[in-house]
Amino acid sequence: MIPAVTREDLKIIGYNLGKICYVTGAVLFLPIIVAVIYSEFDTIPYFLIGSAIAFILGCLISHFLYTKKEMELKHAVCMAALAWLLAPILASVPILLSNATASGLDACFESVSGFTGTGLTLTLDIDHLSHSINFLRHFLQFFGDGIGIIVVSLSILGKTEMSSVLAFKGETKDMGMRPSIVRTSRMIIKIAVTFLIIGTILFTVAGIKAGLDPGTAVFDGLNHSMTGYATGGFSTHSQNLLYYHSVWVEVAAIVVMVIGAINFNLHYVVLGGRRREILKNIEVRVLLFMLLTFGLLVSANLLFTNFYTSGEALFRKCVFHVISAQTTTGFQTVSPSHFMLLWPVFSMVLLSAAMVIGGSANSTSGGIKMLRVGVLLKSFWGDVKRALLPKTAVVRGSFHNIEDTPLTDTVIKGAAMITISYLILFSVGTAITAAHGYGLEDSMFETSSALGNVGLSCGITSPSMPAMLKVTYMFLMWAGKLEIMAVFVLFGFVILCLRKGIKK
Amino acid sequence: MGLRKFSLVNFLKKNFNFITGILSEIGLTLLIIAVAMFICLLLVFIKSAP
Repeated sequence: MIPAVTREDLKIIGYNLGKICYVTGAVLFLPIIVAVIYSEFDTIPYFLIGSAIAFILGCLISHFLYTKKEMELKHAVCMAALAWLLAPILASVPILLSNATASGLDACFESVSGFTGTGLTLTLDIDHLSHSINFLRHFLQFFGDGIGIIVVSLSILGKTEMSSVLAFKGETKDMGMRPSIVRTSRMIIKIAVTFLIIGTILFTVAGIKAGLDPGTAVFDGLNHSMTGYATGGFSTHSQNLLYYHSVWVEVAAIVVMVIGAINFNLHYVVLGGRRREILKNIEVRVLLFMLLTFGLLVSANLLFTNFYTSGEALFRKCVFHVISAQTTTGFQTVSPSHFMLLWPVFSMVLLSAAMVIGGSANSTSGGIKMLRVGVLLKSFWGDVKRALLPKTAVVRGSFHNIEDTPLTDTVIKGAAMITISYLILFSVGTAITAAHGYGLEDSMFETSSALGNVGLSCGITSPSMPAMLKVTYMFLMWAGKLEIMAVFVLFGFVILCLRKGIKK
Repeated sequence: MGLRKFSLVNFLKKNFNFITGILSEIGLTLLIIAVAMFICLLLVFIKSAP
């Protein structure tokens, strides 16, 4: 029998949420540096107010819910689910105060989209947005999704290693390879900062080649590198990467997107010297297979319908969007209306499938994850072999993810459960969108983009879309980021509170 | 003054695995780009063939 929720349980969750408030407050402080550099002094109060609210809330929670007790897994999972709601709400304050969005709901949407690394945007006029607010949008993606706000919060402010280890599990970043949580956090930050610098250099050089002045190229480069590595997809321009009309910017984006979609554990072993691991890994193999298959099919579809006729156009419009969708980044080089009005249904459905499948487990990308798809494909192939072989034959499956892992029923069940949950949420989201009068393929496309934390849009996501859809997509982004299971655990926790009450 | 002299050779030796690891990952992305480009050109060639 599941024990009733106690006051101490709530205190443990609340106390750790207080730490998230502190770190969110610190994150909101950083854009002030950008505001000073660009002499945008009028925006500084927005960040100060947002930061102050986060710090005060953190102080109050830490004071009133102070506890010495350790977190257990149930606390960590509920805390992670609530943290991904609380942090975006706090971060939406400067966005709301700066009038970057039309309403408080839109500011929350923008912030949830940022923290979860989605990239769907409701900002009114991105091209004329202040540098500091623009930087905040991009930094939310890098810090929230690229590094992982919960892990960093508890690694820095956590009382014990245990709370941080559990937070990793709650945040679905199971990094069981490193000897200590501090080393793990350091490694995550080191990898993120290294690729941030490389990405910034690539984007800056590409931007200068595209005709930007060096100052703008560096600012855009830094922001796109942050959102590219976080597989977020926010851009400093309303037209996203289409603004540049530059193949060099698109190549830079592909490099950053693919690296962002690689498993942290794989980064760790490859950067540690096991370079051959990169081609042996099941997720990299699935990524290559999916990219080439989807790329081939989408390109062939758009070529033979005479939509694009040159090899360059196919690469820049078809392959680019397949990579953007599969890595769940959401960088776009065609306008949203192109997708909705001109692209064939077949290509739209394939892009939706790529978005649902997503990138690697333990990476910044969303979706079902290629590891699970690989496990299910291997299991399927095992069943086919079992049917063809004599009855007495024993079929033992395994897959290579850093190390050889046996394909047990538990592993297959876990992968199947998450996949089924994703598909159920995908169907519900598509039905709700279609009920608002949008076409089925457009509804599938936008739903898979929100659920897979992608950010590609066919134009449904706009400030004028119904509030019900905004809330639906916010829920999908949140559930997708938490890989659904944490959401069910939180719901179970709430139902337990309501049914059995809170005991002392 | 307590400052150690920076040696590029030592730096490269010390970070050899890290640097070659980064180059391997960038190499993977370039491989994807090259194969994708080849597929696009192949498709155009197939379509234009009489």
